Amino acid sequence: MDIKPSDSAILTKSLTKKVKTSEGDLQILNPIDMNIKYGESVAIVGASGSGKSTLLGLLAGLDDASEGEIYLDGQPLHNMNEEQRAQLRGGRVGFIFQTFMLVQSLTALENIMLPAQLAGLSNAAEQAKSLLEKVGLAHRANHYPNQLSGGEQQRVAIARAFISKPKILFADEPTGNLDAKNSINIESLLFELNKKFGATLLLVTHDTDLAEKCDRQLHMHAGSFVETVIPLTNSKHDEEVVHDV
Amino acid sequence: MTSNQQSSSHQSSYHHKNAWFSIAWRLFCHESKRGELTIILLAISLSVASVLALSLFSERLQYALTEKAANYFTADRMLWSANPAPTQWLEKAKQSELTMATQLRSNSMLFAGDAMSLVFVRAIDENFPLKGTIRIAPQPFAEGADTDLTPAQGEIWLESRIFQLLNVQLGSMVELGDIKLKVTQVLAQLPDQGFSLGNSSPHVVINITDIKAAGLIGQHSNAWFSYSFVGSDEAIIQYEDWLLPQLDNEVHGWDTAEDAKDFWLSRTIRKAGQYFLLSSLLAIILASISIAVAAQRYCQRHYDPVAIMKTLGGSNSQIRKIFLLQIGFISIAGIIIGTSIGYVFQYGISTLIANQLNIELSGWYWRPFIIAIFTGCCCAFLFSVYPLMKLFSVPPLRVLRRDIDAKPLKFTFNLLASGIAIFLLMWAYSNDLKISAILFASGVILVLVLLAITLVFITLGRRYAQAEFSPGLAGAWNLAWARIQRRAMGNSIQLISFSLTIMLLLIVIVLRNDMLEQWRSQLPEGTPNYFLANITKQELPELQRHLATFDVFPKEYYPVIRSRLTAINDETIDTTIDKVKKKNEKEEKEIKIEDKGKAKEESTDKEREGFGREVNLTWRDTLPFKNEIVEGTWWEKDVPNSVSVEEKVAGELNIIIGDKITFNIGSQIVTASVTNLRSVNWQTMQPNFYFILNPDAVTDISPTYITAFNLAKDQKSELNKMLKPFPTLSLFDVDYRIQQVKDVIKQVSAAVEFILILILCAGSLVLIAQVQASIEERQQELAILRTLGAKGKLIQQSVVLEFVIVGIISGIIAAFANEIALYMLQTNIFEMEYSFHFEFWLLAPLVGASVVGCLGALTCWRLLRINTLKLIREVM
Repeated sequence: MDIKPSDSAILTKSLTKKVKTSEGDLQILNPIDMNIKYGESVAIVGASGSGKSTLLGLLAGLDDASEGEIYLDGQPLHNMNEEQRAQLRGGRVGFIFQTFMLVQSLTALENIMLPAQLAGLSNAAEQAKSLLEKVGLAHRANHYPNQLSGGEQQRVAIARAFISKPKILFADEPTGNLDAKNSINIESLLFELNKKFGATLLLVTHDTDLAEKCDRQLHMHAGSFVETVIPLTNSKHDEEVVHDV
Repeated sequence: MTSNQQSSSHQSSYHHKNAWFSIAWRLFCHESKRGELTIILLAISLSVASVLALSLFSERLQYALTEKAANYFTADRMLWSANPAPTQWLEKAKQSELTMATQLRSNSMLFAGDAMSLVFVRAIDENFPLKGTIRIAPQPFAEGADTDLTPAQGEIWLESRIFQLLNVQLGSMVELGDIKLKVTQVLAQLPDQGFSLGNSSPHVVINITDIKAAGLIGQHSNAWFSYSFVGSDEAIIQYEDWLLPQLDNEVHGWDTAEDAKDFWLSRTIRKAGQYFLLSSLLAIILASISIAVAAQRYCQRHYDPVAIMKTLGGSNSQIRKIFLLQIGFISIAGIIIGTSIGYVFQYGISTLIANQLNIELSGWYWRPFIIAIFTGCCCAFLFSVYPLMKLFSVPPLRVLRRDIDAKPLKFTFNLLASGIAIFLLMWAYSNDLKISAILFASGVILVLVLLAITLVFITLGRRYAQAEFSPGLAGAWNLAWARIQRRAMGNSIQLISFSLTIMLLLIVIVLRNDMLEQWRSQLPEGTPNYFLANITKQELPELQRHLATFDVFPKEYYPVIRSRLTAINDETIDTTIDKVKKKNEKEEKEIKIEDKGKAKEESTDKEREGFGREVNLTWRDTLPFKNEIVEGTWWEKDVPNSVSVEEKVAGELNIIIGDKITFNIGSQIVTASVTNLRSVNWQTMQPNFYFILNPDAVTDISPTYITAFNLAKDQKSELNKMLKPFPTLSLFDVDYRIQQVKDVIKQVSAAVEFILILILCAGSLVLIAQVQASIEERQQELAILRTLGAKGKLIQQSVVLEFVIVGIISGIIAAFANEIALYMLQTNIFEMEYSFHFEFWLLAPLVGASVVGCLGALTCWRLLRINTLKLIREVM
């Protein structure tokens, strides 16, 4: 049955990514069809180089697809230019990155305010302070990122992700740069806030524990989704079944 | 749409507008603590300060000189007339709201009992002088002081030497024509009392109302009327336009204050002005290089924030505004700081000069401010446009893949933007399209040549620089060369930047040294400040003995005789002049401007009446001081009648070697062949002559003599005693003017020093910006080397050596380029003699190595102080 884009938080049809190399085109993503419903939390799991981050970049409209269609919150990303995609992200999409990606010249509070300000929201400061309290960093509001620990930086990043009350949240290895204790704290914070804000969560991770906390897990290998769980060592002998999700 | 929705939309739009402003402001506040923005700020401030200070200073100085010239001239314009001017001309002047002073000048005999003397009578009204002041002294030969007084009816003011000649005192009665006048003041100086050997009669001043009673005007009178005018520029020009077509050249003359500009001052200021122009351009170029380098680094550091903002929904227009606004903030701050520094500096120097010249500084000059602000904006935006364009092109995907850089833009775009910026700045500042185009084209060629030389140096260096050092140092040496070689193109640009900086610094320093030296030698200690004329052959030995008792030993006594130049190659001179005049009208005008300065040593008659009238001749065996033969040879003894001609006059009159020139000396006709043409240094304050004969050509002529000598300030009071036995001598005091020139040179030199400091700062900024720009790359290398266990000493040595090598190469290239640039500048623009600057071939590499090496060492020292883990974290 044909799925309506407006019914899905994220919908792709034959999404493909190729890059040009000196030896010709290299296909990084094989045609992918996927459908993620509103409110769902989905983990994309796979080894390094399997294409997870490439897929994330395409789904978030950070990169151009080579072929296929992508609908984000019902909007056809594949027909939009970079400027339109940025506008779409503003207010509807939140991001959390492995390397935190905070603006070093802005304080914790200012970093959290940034998406709201770019989206033209009027009460950015109040919302940012409230979120900062929620992530337990009210006392660090005026600290710059380099004055915060890794765990604290990621909390700021989580608070920033939720300030514009996003419908969809993309997280790229959110615990990848943290120690075990901090990872657990960040995981609980992420899921707690996601539940509270009711956002669709698409998470890319190596961490199977984290992936298991999601409603669904999608395993990637060599640019395609596979049914079998592929060990992260990327063994050539693993049996794999490529399928649509 | 409901009103609520409208309001909400409006509010959102308001916040939207505010958002980028507040983000830009917050980023700016934080970034202002970091290096790049400080460099950009300082560079903008420096360029604005130098442009404003020097343009404003030059413009105010130009005004001051014109004003001063007007003071010597006593007005803005002057009408000369052999007869009283028609009443309607004077009425029209009144209607045009011009203030007017009337004067009559005439030679006449002045009697006191049996004594008499030929004097030059200046009959003035109460308005004279309209500009400048008359100076009077309490007693003959005493120091004069300014006065607002003019002689009342029945009074006469006499120059000091007339007191001696007529043996009169203050209060004595003297006879002038048909009237008796009472001597009431000692005339020290009239503002327009030029130094003319052609008219060496002492001056007297009377009230113009006495002139008719004295009978000085009449049918056979030699009197000239002069009407001087002052008023607004507009009124003056309007009157000039109305009057000039009505003048009859036979009986009327029209002069402007501009013609009376002081030769030495004008020349000094003109040269300083050229130096300021060049230096400011160099300051702008250096500042621009620093801005370009710092902006490049600033933008590179913001690739991540831009990617983050784009990912979080920031539009291109928001991002453009955020970063352009930051450049805007920095430009405003730079312009404010620059204009403040520039204004304060020029105010200080201009005020000092105004005090020296005794003039009021008024008026407001917009042009320097507009140019300075334009310079600041141009520097800030045009030199950062390329890095900014790259910054704006950073894709949002960089948040996931850090290796993704900004979209490559065509480098030609960068070159084009920077080229246009530099050319616009040059044009705006020099106001001369041709010069700007020539300078710009030369600059482009220079950069290309430097690029080629640099690449050759780098390639050869690596190939042949196999070190035979101790194992440790050899490792550092090879590492340093490897680093230079690896980034050959990047290093070439850095090398060119270093070379250009060192070269520009050298140019400014050399020109400054040469110019100050030339100024100093122009008026050295002991420069003659008094001239004595009308010395007869009989008086000469006695005068020499007498002066020696006062420790005054004039260098030379020049015989002088008035003559008429009547023919060249038997062709009467008037015909030649007319022909030349028509042919070379423009050229002659230029020569005449030069002649204004010579007027002090030579006759002023020439300018007004041409060589068809009288000219001063001298004769001698040897070439005079600071004269040089440019064509032909100086004569040996016992040669037939020969004449040496000053080169510019020769050009004006189409005289070539071998021409026969005929002079009428009294009743004697002397014809001499031109054997050489001379260049004359008119700045020596020694008597100089257009025509010099060989002594054998004038055997039966009895000349008078002229000499010049220096008298110390404390000896001035002895002048009366010194000249008392020789009442017929004419004394010319130029001490006051020399002192003024010296004072102005002192102030202008201070301005030269100021620009040198600015240039040094601008140069240092480029070096710092360049070193800073390579920090990140070095940081990465250091992190890797230290992780692999390289010793701090090795790393330090390799970095320092790298910078030392770069510094030495830059120095050598700079010395080479400096030599070529100086040759062009000194011979073509500054009219100076070129000399090879051997010392800089040694100094430049040394300075390059030490300064660039030190900066490198400092950078390295800072990086080595960071612990390895932190270094790795910073890099990652």
